[in-house]
Amino acid sequence: MSNRISAKDVLLGGIGTLAVLVPWEIAARSGIVDPSIFPSPILAISSAAEKLSATEVLDHMGWSLFRVFSGFLLGALAGITIGIVAGWYRTAGYLLRPMIELLRPIPPLAWIPLAIIWFGLGEPSKFFLIFLGAFFPVVTATYQGVTNVDPILIRAAQTFGLKGIDLLVRIVIPGAAPDLATGIRIGWGLSFGVLVAAELIAADKGLGYMIMHARLLGYVDVIVVGIVLIGILNLLTDGMIAWLIKKGIGRWHEV
Amino acid sequence: MSTDAGFIELNDINMRFGLPAEALPVVLQGIDLSIAQNEFVSIVGRSGCGKTTLLNIVAGLVEATTGTVTIAGNQVRGPGQGQGVVFQQHALFPWLTAMGNVEFGCRKADISKSEKREVCRQLLDLVGLSHAADKYPRELSGGMQQRVAIARALALDPEILLMDEPFGALDELTRIELQQELLRVWDARKKTVIFVTHSITEALILSDRVILLSPHPGRVFKDYQITLPRPRIRTDPAFNAMYQEIWEGLSA
Ligand SMILES: Nc1ncnc2c1ncn2[C@@H]1O[C@H](COP(=O)(O)OP(=O)(O)O)[C@@H](O)[C@H]1O
Ligand SMILES: [Mg+2]
Repeated sequence: MSNRISAKDVLLGGIGTLAVLVPWEIAARSGIVDPSIFPSPILAISSAAEKLSATEVLDHMGWSLFRVFSGFLLGALAGITIGIVAGWYRTAGYLLRPMIELLRPIPPLAWIPLAIIWFGLGEPSKFFLIFLGAFFPVVTATYQGVTNVDPILIRAAQTFGLKGIDLLVRIVIPGAAPDLATGIRIGWGLSFGVLVAAELIAADKGLGYMIMHARLLGYVDVIVVGIVLIGILNLLTDGMIAWLIKKGIGRWHEV
Repeated sequence: MSTDAGFIELNDINMRFGLPAEALPVVLQGIDLSIAQNEFVSIVGRSGCGKTTLLNIVAGLVEATTGTVTIAGNQVRGPGQGQGVVFQQHALFPWLTAMGNVEFGCRKADISKSEKREVCRQLLDLVGLSHAADKYPRELSGGMQQRVAIARALALDPEILLMDEPFGALDELTRIELQQELLRVWDARKKTVIFVTHSITEALILSDRVILLSPHPGRVFKDYQITLPRPRIRTDPAFNAMYQEIWEGLSA
């Protein structure tokens, strides 16, 4: 396959990354930039470690992951269900689609004020925002996947006597799987983006809280470590989802 | 019911898509056909003359505006009355392997899983693909895909095989190979075949009978009995004479 990464590609990537990190490290250590605003990447980790214990960081990470995972799971499940129903049953489609199309372009963060009024500052409002982040991409992709299933496949299945719910389960849903997978990845990314914003508002646990609290204390090193951790978590979980998708449908569908 | 003639009967089939108020053009008009059991019938006609529509009506996938189709005396009211269909594009389920697709076609509820597997393995063998059982459609060539599609249709154990330009997208060599294989299958499994093609040569190689449809609206224009001995030879003068006759019919 042509998308294999060669050693040369890895080398180039390493050079590109170092080209940013090395001058930064040098600039911070030599005092060209103020290290209390631009802390050196290496020193930030060690000095942050003095202010926070590993268990504290893990606790924040755990909370963030738990929030994003539960909100995403429910949002994706609701999105898949409603997407399938709206895509497969004509009447349901006409009923549901205008509302979805109307709400879909609203960025999840624009819901923050309403979320706070409806659900307060606690967990439910965060859950709601993350839910929205997952729901809209998944419902849209599922709907599209269901309605785009090649009609010839449905006809072919009909010649073997399939109809109704059997057609839906055995043909339409597998046929929609590639679109659905794309929606899930986008939904996960958006849920993650919403998570940090939700934790910036009001929380006493989570990575978003951790970096916001560090700002109040003036701990730039903790902020740097926090945002890098958020990036790494997102990267790793997205990679895991991509891997699961490839395992699930990669053999029959080019992903 | 008479024993031989009229295994499949089309009685005054008329077809117009859309609502009457839309007044779309008539696609098929007054089609009367009687096809005998185990007969191999080709339908030839210009693009757009209603061949696919006619086949879909026999398959029970499309309902004629007026007129009836009967199979062995039973009126066709939908798919699954003994009609196996092979489409122009392979129409395989991309998420199933070659074996999975053939097994999908095997709807028998009264046989065990292993018996089913054995039946399907034989079918893949019949179309020369036992080595590709675990491959997915996208890993197969066009010719192999169409072979799987034929095996899948046969898995239904249909009395009738409806084929809509099944080899139209294949290269010349693969096409000739598949024609030979289809004749072998037809011989081995005794099916009644309605085969749509726009190739006169293909129709003559395969068929007992060639039906010419005229366009706008689609009607039965000519009905040729092909009595040339089998196997048919393309370079045979009698073959060429028949080709010429049909060609003149088509250009009339
Ligand atoms: N679902 C449909 N709705 C409206 N018109 C159709 C539909 N299917 C086919 N037609 C029309 O019927 C005519 C015959 O089509 P078709 O049966 O596909 O012809 P052929 O297979 O001989 O090329 C064409 O003019 C086509 O536009
Ligand atoms: Mg056609």
